[in-house]
Amino acid sequence: MIPETLTVERGVTAGDAWVTVAPANIHAALSALKDSGFRLLVFLTCVDHLADASREWAGRYEVVYQLRDMETREQLRVRAYVDGDPPHIDSVHDLFPPANWDERETYDMFGIVFDNHPDLTRILMPDDWLGHPLRRDYPVGGEVVEFSEEHERWQTAPDKA
Amino acid sequence: MSTEVGQGMTVTKTGEQGAFGGELLTINFGPHHPSTHGVLRLIVDLDGEQVRRLKPVIGYLHTGIEKQAEALRWQQAVVVTDRHDYLSPPINNLAYALAVEKLLGVDVPPRAKALRVIMSELTRLASHLVWLGTSGIELGASTMLMYCFRERDTILDMNEEISGFRMHTSYIRPGGVMADATPRFFEMLDRFVRTMPSNIDEYESLLTMNPIFRTRTIGIGRLSAEDAKVLGATGPMLRGSGVEWDLRKAMPYSGYENYDFEIATSDLCDCYGRYLVRIKEMREAVKILRQAMDQLPDGPVNIDDRKVLPPPREELETSMEAVIHHFKLFTEGYTVPPGDVYVAVESGRGENGCYVVSDGTHKPRRVKFRAASFANLQPLEQMAMNHMVADMVAIIGTADAVLGDVDR
Repeated sequence: MIPETLTVERGVTAGDAWVTVAPANIHAALSALKDSGFRLLVFLTCVDHLADASREWAGRYEVVYQLRDMETREQLRVRAYVDGDPPHIDSVHDLFPPANWDERETYDMFGIVFDNHPDLTRILMPDDWLGHPLRRDYPVGGEVVEFSEEHERWQTAPDKA
Repeated sequence: MSTEVGQGMTVTKTGEQGAFGGELLTINFGPHHPSTHGVLRLIVDLDGEQVRRLKPVIGYLHTGIEKQAEALRWQQAVVVTDRHDYLSPPINNLAYALAVEKLLGVDVPPRAKALRVIMSELTRLASHLVWLGTSGIELGASTMLMYCFRERDTILDMNEEISGFRMHTSYIRPGGVMADATPRFFEMLDRFVRTMPSNIDEYESLLTMNPIFRTRTIGIGRLSAEDAKVLGATGPMLRGSGVEWDLRKAMPYSGYENYDFEIATSDLCDCYGRYLVRIKEMREAVKILRQAMDQLPDGPVNIDDRKVLPPPREELETSMEAVIHHFKLFTEGYTVPPGDVYVAVESGRGENGCYVVSDGTHKPRRVKFRAASFANLQPLEQMAMNHMVADMVAIIGTADAVLGDVDR
């Protein structure tokens, strides 16, 4: 299991076990977990807690690692809160090969910089895209169509200049 | 010399010497190549016709589904889940619905569970049929598509009968299902379950002992069990490498523990092994469908919670409270307790998971789809290494990546 010195907090939400670690310890913590049997990284992602009033957050970005032990069928979620512009955290692609693409996706969508990643480039968005679309301050965008909230404005006739 | 591939350029010489005396060539395979199953682009370094390096480039079908889900209310986000893995919409719905229900702390009635299993298995069959038909075409058995799409169409007819929509059904929702199945649906299902085993025999008679098909698939695209596990491959990719792992058995959901079926595995670890696994899975799916039909419990198909699901139409005419609930649900929706949850279900492609984060408001804070195809594409270079270009097509085919699922 994960050494107590590395954990900040642990708990269970809706039946899912989780543990929080300091971002500087993420590589050591995941390495310890991998040695103790959690050999599969199911997914890696990020949650942006900008203006999230449901509780106090240790950082704006929460990087989430879902691990699984395929022998005991045990699952564990590891969280690390990061802040900064851009936020940095260590890459774990050397521990879990699937993290390679997942980290590229998280970089692409949230702008989290994974240090020591071999090829940290955009994966889903075009290479010349500006901004990180899944950040909460990135607008959804879209076109004004009938029944959309701007419908009133859309319906008024354009000014005749 | 650089290995860059410019816009519109199809072939670049890398300057490296190949084993056959020629130079290595970099070619762009896709994104609009018919055998890439959508818009997958592969940058391939070729020595003669052998693959020396392979880099998948994805994102051509990125539709921002996760971003859209954040902008929709909890009950509205179901419709975007339909659209990421567009060959198995009800299974995507199921992952999302189970995640939201887990956060809400509700459990759906037994009849809803059974209907969810029926829809999941029909979807698995439809998804495998598309795979079988298109793979058949790629490997020189063009009749397969006709046979497979014939049965797939009856499944789409059933989708239409039960939900009113042929592909993006949005049938499974948080709190239950859209509506109870009609008697006509069960007639269609009964006919389907009776005829499907002989249809699968028919597919097998066309492919299983077909010498061309066997030559094109046996020994091609080997992926050892250890590699498959480490690289995060799931579904038929993992079971085709001999690992007995199926979420329906390993972590049962929606009452799968009550059905008697086997996990299809194959020790061949190659394209042929993955083909055998999918054929066996189709047979097992028919078995589950038969059991689900026979044991279908009576009762409601939705939870009785007016805070989550709208009241029935009749109640609106007699109860003021029902009108208030109806109004509140359709103007602001419902709230979900803060927290996060991950639920994984087994789709035709592997582990289809949904990670949902709630901040206690009417809309999800974050919805992340753990896409099976995304993970299954990563071992592609390893599998295709030193194979011919034509074999690469077989390998992409048996990886069964749906690009909507990869790019979301």
